Amino acid sequence: MGYELRTNVVEPVRNGFSYLTERFGDRPATRYQEASFNVQPMENFQYRPTWDADHELYDPNYSALKLTDPYGYTDPRQYYYTPYVANAADRHESFAQTLKYIEDRRLLDKLPENWHTVLTGFVLPLRHYEQGAQLISTNASRFGYGTTVTQAACFASFDRIGNAQLLSLIGLALASGAADTLTDAKKNWLYAPHLQGLRRMVEELLVEPDWAAGLIGLDLLDEQLYPLLYEHLDERSLFRNAAAYSLLARHFNDWYAGHRKWLNALIKAWTKDPQHSDANTKVLGEVVDRWYPRACGAVREFARGLADSAGSVSVAGAAERGVAELAASLTRAGIPVNAPEGVTA
Amino acid sequence: MAKAKLSMRERYRLLTRDLDWEPTYVDPKKVYPYTRYEGIKIHDWDAWDDPFRLTIDSYCKYQAEKDKKLYAVIDGFAQGQGHLSLTDARYVNSLKLFLQGVTPLEYQAHRHFGYLARHLDGPGARFAALCQSIDELRHTQTEIHTISQYNKYYGGLHNWSRMHDRVWYLSVPKSFFDDGLSAGPFEFLTAISFSFEYFLTNLLFVPFMSGASFNGDLATMTFGFSAQSDESRHMTLGLEVLKFMLEQDEDNVPIIQDWVDKWFWRGYRLLGLVAAMMDYMLPRKIMSWKEAFELYLEQQMLEGLFPDLEYYGIRPPRHVEQAITEKEYMSHQVYWILYQFSFAASFNTTVPTDEELDWMSGAYPETFDRFYRPLWERARRLEEEGNRFFFRGLPMLCQTCQIPMGFSEPGDPSTLSIRTSQFRGERFNFCSDGCKWIFDREPEKYVQAWLPVHQIYQGNCGGTTIPEVLNWYGIQDGVDNGEYLTSPDKANWDKWHTGAVVGGA
Repeated sequence: MGYELRTNVVEPVRNGFSYLTERFGDRPATRYQEASFNVQPMENFQYRPTWDADHELYDPNYSALKLTDPYGYTDPRQYYYTPYVANAADRHESFAQTLKYIEDRRLLDKLPENWHTVLTGFVLPLRHYEQGAQLISTNASRFGYGTTVTQAACFASFDRIGNAQLLSLIGLALASGAADTLTDAKKNWLYAPHLQGLRRMVEELLVEPDWAAGLIGLDLLDEQLYPLLYEHLDERSLFRNAAAYSLLARHFNDWYAGHRKWLNALIKAWTKDPQHSDANTKVLGEVVDRWYPRACGAVREFARGLADSAGSVSVAGAAERGVAELAASLTRAGIPVNAPEGVTA
Repeated sequence: MAKAKLSMRERYRLLTRDLDWEPTYVDPKKVYPYTRYEGIKIHDWDAWDDPFRLTIDSYCKYQAEKDKKLYAVIDGFAQGQGHLSLTDARYVNSLKLFLQGVTPLEYQAHRHFGYLARHLDGPGARFAALCQSIDELRHTQTEIHTISQYNKYYGGLHNWSRMHDRVWYLSVPKSFFDDGLSAGPFEFLTAISFSFEYFLTNLLFVPFMSGASFNGDLATMTFGFSAQSDESRHMTLGLEVLKFMLEQDEDNVPIIQDWVDKWFWRGYRLLGLVAAMMDYMLPRKIMSWKEAFELYLEQQMLEGLFPDLEYYGIRPPRHVEQAITEKEYMSHQVYWILYQFSFAASFNTTVPTDEELDWMSGAYPETFDRFYRPLWERARRLEEEGNRFFFRGLPMLCQTCQIPMGFSEPGDPSTLSIRTSQFRGERFNFCSDGCKWIFDREPEKYVQAWLPVHQIYQGNCGGTTIPEVLNWYGIQDGVDNGEYLTSPDKANWDKWHTGAVVGGA
């Protein structure tokens, strides 16, 4: 026997929004498609910006990187607002549980001293790096072209300020709820020699006029920093009785894996674009030429600082491997790396 | 060992604005290049008081919970074919106007609060803007999802974003927001945060949600409630930001007064569409436009807000007395325009029913029976004779607000108002003193306007015939436009609501 609930059904007159049935076929659309495609204004802008008379309010020419179809890009995670915030809420909740566990077990007190230094001298100052990353991502969310791209950048910018807050929470926990550690971390960000390469590059990326170049430049740093801090050091921490470090690192590593998905797909959309593939690849090559040496130099400086202050014997080698892996991953993505590997600008 | 815990305020500061630093490797003025050219002076961004203390974790948690509830209602409403329980299919015209005219504005706000979240010098203000940016994306997307189910059953909704970029009456909201986006960051804040989100919100956004509630649209009403806590944050921000700018330097006061004046009239003209919707598109009325204007503008704003702003040297907006005069007839003039031109609109219009005409006589005792009832009665006679009246030509548009020139001289509903200005040897037309004043302040901006009628004449809209232009608009002739009584929406509605009440297949 089946359960036969009768419903009052009238047949729909159409399956969905015209521009979606044209693009995806005459069938009901997904919520991601409805939320993301053809949402941005595209033409007939009324007035030129008074802050940039050379562009329209929405303009593909805010970047040299172009998509033939502005909606040729799809976020593989299919994030629109609701799944994004649900996922972000889970991420923060899960982090809070970890931090509580660490605090309950007093695991931060039990960190070996050099691991304490890793956190206060190197990881926590990156809360400022993350805020810089937020600004760069927010810029992409305003000046990108097409909602599938810009909403992913918007979520990234929210993630980055979220990361900055998570790092700050670690700082508060380290100082038993006081501000001291964060104050020191800020001083380090501003003055410690091993962080100046990073800070300098972030500041220079903030004045990069091309939003996509800013995003790629930032990524050249991310691609080295995240594996170094949250993979390499995570593994080391397990051998060195620094359980708290590993427990915390996992969250950043997981975030980074998700972050790579939307960005890799975007890079792929640029390099595989039906019309602009060659031009995009050339532009990406130029962006890499400009920023790759600086990024490698900044991360090397950072790693040297880590080796010196925290007595890490493996970190310099890991940073060098990161430099090589980044070059390999760019090459795999079809982006030429012409700049001499890792020469400081 | 254990140190004194930080205050909530200090903790919040560490999690938000303390993340900021002053760049030294590049010129900070180059990092934030847009905050000086408007003449607004900010001496101390630290004086910015965060109106709410959100962190990313609390924001996401709260919003995720709200969305879960909202989508449960939207899904339930769709599954239960909730649209069949509306007061009438005619109500959906309000949703058409909303999706075509308001949802794109939410989106524009999303993108441009992102501009503020990047480009304001103060980290506290930037973070508030970032939260508003993502909120506005929420509103865009939840509105699309809420109204998507209506699109499956009713005309006029299926091409809303393209229509927003192209169709004549939608250039009214589009030009309003483009005006804000193309202005500098402080004017944008005054225009959108203050004027749009605070000063006029109860007349602009809220009537659509109340209309939903009064007409059985549970889905849109639930969206409205779900957006309420976001909107109240945006309203708070709107007022705080205005006070902050005013407190920073006395020289800011006259600049801001000018913006308050401009954006009042700009917003008020945009409200013309809402006024017409309230009085004519809702089968079950919330209140008349006039009552809403008296309650939300005259009582809450002119008697409530502006006496407070006087302390800062801000007086009530220029031309507000004309808006007060117009409350007696503005909705009728706008709907009459929409009625005549709805062959080229993506919604249906019709003559009000007898019951509605009587309601309007009661709501507008000074003007309705004298000026507008005869108009509608004539229109009805023509309709009944099979000659539904449409104005078969293209109207002249106001260069500023872009509404066809159908407004009257203030206080004199029988005389058309036309104002003109000369600029670079050309003549420009305006519907009102307010629109002329706005043009004259910045003629080099408003001469750029993409005026839909001019564009048709110039051949930029798919062709010169009506079917060509409609096609270019994305309007399906005979489905999306024209008279309601002969529309597919009406025919479908009648079909869905006939049939035996007892039994059935």
